[in-house]
Amino acid sequence: MAGRESAAYLFLSLLQAKTGGSLSNRLAGRDVRAVLERPADEFAREMNLTERAARALAELREGFDACALVERLALKGVRVLTRADEGYPARLDAAPDPPPALFVDGRLPEGGFVALVGSRKATRAGVETACGLGRELAARGVCVVSGLALGVDAAAHEGALAAGGATVGVLGCGIDVVYPRSNRELFRRVEAQGALVSEYSPGEPPLAWRFPARNRIIAGLSDAVVVVEAPEKSGALITARHALDAGRDVWAVPGPPGSPECRGSNRLLADGAGVLWDVPEFLEAVTDHRGEEGGGLSPTGLPTGPPTGPVVNQHEIPETPVGLPEGEAEVLRGVDFRAVGADVVAGRTGVEMRAVLSSLAMLELKGYVARDAAGNFSRRSAP
Amino acid sequence: MMSVCRVRSLSLFGIDALPVEVEVDVSAGLPGFSIVGLPDAAVQEARERVRVAISNSGYKFPTKKVIVNLAPANLRKEGAAFDLPMALGILAASGGVPLSRLEDVGVVGELSLDGGLRGVRGALSMAEAARLGGLRRLILPKKNAREAAASGGIEVYGVGGLREAVEFLASGNGVEPAGPWSEDGEEPAAVEDFADVTGQGYAKRALEVAAAGGHNVVMSGPPGSGKTMLARRMPGILPPLGLGERIEVTKVHSAGGETNGSLVRSRPFRAPHHTISTAGLAGGGSNPRPGEVSLAHHGVLFLDEFPEFGRRTLEVLRQPLEDGYVTISRVAATLSYPARVTLLCSMNPCPCGYAGDSRRACRCTPGQIERYQGRISGPLIDRMDLFVDVPRLSRDELRDGTPAEPSRLVRERVTLARRAQVGRQSSPNCALSGRLLRAACGLKGDAEALFARAIDRMGLSGRGHDRVLRVARTVADLSGEEDIAVEHLAEALNYRRSYGFGR
Repeated sequence: MAGRESAAYLFLSLLQAKTGGSLSNRLAGRDVRAVLERPADEFAREMNLTERAARALAELREGFDACALVERLALKGVRVLTRADEGYPARLDAAPDPPPALFVDGRLPEGGFVALVGSRKATRAGVETACGLGRELAARGVCVVSGLALGVDAAAHEGALAAGGATVGVLGCGIDVVYPRSNRELFRRVEAQGALVSEYSPGEPPLAWRFPARNRIIAGLSDAVVVVEAPEKSGALITARHALDAGRDVWAVPGPPGSPECRGSNRLLADGAGVLWDVPEFLEAVTDHRGEEGGGLSPTGLPTGPPTGPVVNQHEIPETPVGLPEGEAEVLRGVDFRAVGADVVAGRTGVEMRAVLSSLAMLELKGYVARDAAGNFSRRSAP
Repeated sequence: MMSVCRVRSLSLFGIDALPVEVEVDVSAGLPGFSIVGLPDAAVQEARERVRVAISNSGYKFPTKKVIVNLAPANLRKEGAAFDLPMALGILAASGGVPLSRLEDVGVVGELSLDGGLRGVRGALSMAEAARLGGLRRLILPKKNAREAAASGGIEVYGVGGLREAVEFLASGNGVEPAGPWSEDGEEPAAVEDFADVTGQGYAKRALEVAAAGGHNVVMSGPPGSGKTMLARRMPGILPPLGLGERIEVTKVHSAGGETNGSLVRSRPFRAPHHTISTAGLAGGGSNPRPGEVSLAHHGVLFLDEFPEFGRRTLEVLRQPLEDGYVTISRVAATLSYPARVTLLCSMNPCPCGYAGDSRRACRCTPGQIERYQGRISGPLIDRMDLFVDVPRLSRDELRDGTPAEPSRLVRERVTLARRAQVGRQSSPNCALSGRLLRAACGLKGDAEALFARAIDRMGLSGRGHDRVLRVARTVADLSGEEDIAVEHLAEALNYRRSYGFGR
C-alpha cells in the first residue's frame, strides 16, 4: 500500500469501526485525504461529527502511522485493501457505502461471486439446500460468499469447500476473532481455500451492530444474492435489501407456505425476487452473468462444466421410489419436505405407531428421509 | 430385687436395623434419670416422656437413681423408638411389675405422654433384624404390626400402649400375634389413564418401552405439549412389583417414615421439584433418611424441567444410575440406600421452549440453546436410553376423536415383556451390559446387516450401540419375540439421541 489516499482510507476505516456510523457517505465528493490532513476540530465541525466521534478522531490521529500498521498486519498474514488500492474489489467499490478498507486473510479469487445467506437456525432442508447450492456453484468456479455464521452460512461454505471451490467469509469482527466459536474448524478451512474478509481491523470484537453492517459487504461483493431460508426479521433480508440497493440480483428458495422459517424468504419471492425453483436454471442464470464479466476457468482450475455432485432439487423426486417394501413406501407418502413428528406421519398414513417408527428408521437409513435435531422427519432431496 | 435389667431393642441404620441392648440399672442414691450410650437429642428427651408415660399408665416411677445404657456404646442412637424398652426396663428393674418374659423379645415403640404408643420408622427392617438376631417375638406399636409381620419367621405383637405391653409380658396373653402377611385386595388402579391423552402416540409408545425394560427416558418438547401429563400417567403402565421387590421398597419407605402400615403396593413414582437439595435427592441429613432417588427404588423418578435442577444435585444421580444404590458418608458411619430407578426426565428444547415447534418461532440464539442443553452433564446423558420429542399438537389434532388405548392394556403388554426379561436374565433389560447384553441381544441375518449400516450412517458410539441393542431387546420382548428382528431394531433406532443434543 502506498500513497496518502490509501492511508486516509485506512484511517477512515479505523474511525468508522469506533464510531459505528458511516462517514464515507458524509464525505460525499470531498477528498478523503482531509481526514488526515485537515485540523481535527475543523474537520469535525465541517463533517458535523458528534462529540464522541470528534474525540475518537482526535485520539486516533495521535501516533497514527499507516505504513507501520500495514507492516505489522502483514507479519500476521493480513493484507489491507483500501479503496485507493488496485486489488479492492470493483463490485464492492460500485456498491453504496463501500467500506473504506478491507482486511483480508487468504486470497480473494477472481471471477464471479454469489452470496448464499439465510437463517442461523435453518431447518434440515434449508441446510441441505444451502450446502448443495454451495457445492454446485463452487464446482462451476463461482466463489461462494457468506457470513460464516451457523446454519445456512456454514452449510454454504461447507458445500463450496466440499467441491474444492473458493469461498469467502465476511465477518462482523476482526478476522482473527473466531465467532461463533463452534465454527473454528470451518474458519480455518475457509481461510486456506478462500479468504476471510472484514472491514474491522484484527482484534475487533463481534459487536451486535457490526453484523447488519457487514451484510452490505456480502451483498456488495456478490453478483447475486440467494436467500435460502429466512424468517421475518432475518439478517439475510438485510443482505437482500443491500443487494437491491447495489443493483444486484436477489434470488430466494421457495419454502412451504406459512412456515415461520421461510416467511422472510417467501416474502422476497412475493416482492419479485428470482424464484430458485430449478437449480440448473439458476446456475445457468448466475454463471451467464459471470460470463459477461469475462469468466473462463475457475480460480481453482476447475472447468465450468456440468455439476459433479447430485443436484439439489426438491422437485425432482420420483413419486414413489421403486424397490421399497410396501409398508415403507406407505409411510414415506406421509413425509414431505416440511419436517413433522412421527405422530403426524402416523396420523397422515393411518399406520400403527410401532410400524411407523421402524419404517422411518429404515427410510432414514436408506436415505429417503432425514431426522432433524428436534426429532422431526422430512423428505430428503435425493436418496 | 433385680437391679439391672436388659431389654432387647433395635435401631435403624440406613434401611437395615441393628440390635441394641437397653440396660437399666435402678439403685439407691439421689433420685435421677440419665441415659448413656451415644444417644441423640430425641433419645435424651425420652427421659421426660418415659417418666410421665409410666405414671400416667398407673405405675410408679422409682424415686431412685436410674441409669439407662444403650449398647453397643459406639453406635449413634437416634429417634424415639427406645421409649418403650426403657419404660419396660425401668418397671422390671425397680421390681414394681413382674416381667418374666423379656429374654427372647424385641421391643420398640415411641411413647406418648398418656402411655399410648406411636409408630416407628423401619418396622419391617427391625422385624427382619430381630429374626436374624435370634429373637422369637417382637413387640411394637399396633400401627406397625402388619408391616413387620410381612417379614415372617417371628411372632409380631402390636400393642396399643405401655399398660397393654406390661400386662402382656406379665401374663403372656391378652394380645394376639399379628397374622401372617396376606394380600389385601386388588391393587388399586392408577387414577390417571393414558386414554385421557389424545394423540402423542410416539411418546406413549416410548414410555411403554421404557416401562417394560426399565429404561431411562428424556422427553423434550415445548411448554404445553403434554410432557408432564404423559409422565404422570406412567405409574399406570408400570409392571406390578414382585413380593421381594415390595419388601425392599417397603423397607426404604418405612425408613423414610412414609408407609401406611402395610407393604407398598405399586411401583413408586416420585416427582421432586427442581429446587430440591442434594440431600433431599440422594438422602442424608444428620439423622440420615433415604432421599427421593431411594424412595423411587424399583420405580420411577420423574425430574420435570430437567435442566433447571442444580448441576451438583443431578451429579449425585450418577452413582445410583450406575450401581443401583447411594452411599452416604457421615463422620460416624457410612450407609447406603438402595436406589435402582427408572429415570424419567422432561425438558424444553431451549430456554424459550419453542425450538423445533411448528407454529411458534424460537427466540433463542444457537449459543443459548447449546448452553441450555449443555447444563446436563455428558455422563448423565450417557445413562439415558430413550430420547423422545413431544411436539405440541394443533387444535385439529387435539380434536381428533380416535380413542386412545387405556393404560390397562398397555400394562398387560408391559407386564408380559418384563416377565420374559426376568425369566431370561433375571433382571430388566436396562441392566444388561457386557457379556449378558451380547448373550441376550444376539442379532441374526438381516438385523445384523441393518445394525452395521446404522452404526455407519448414524454415527453410533460404543455406548449408543449398546443402548440401541438394549432398547431393541425390549421392543422385541413387547412383541413376544425370541429374536430381535429388523423392525425391532429399526424402532429402537428412533429413540436414539438427536445429534447435537446435550453436549
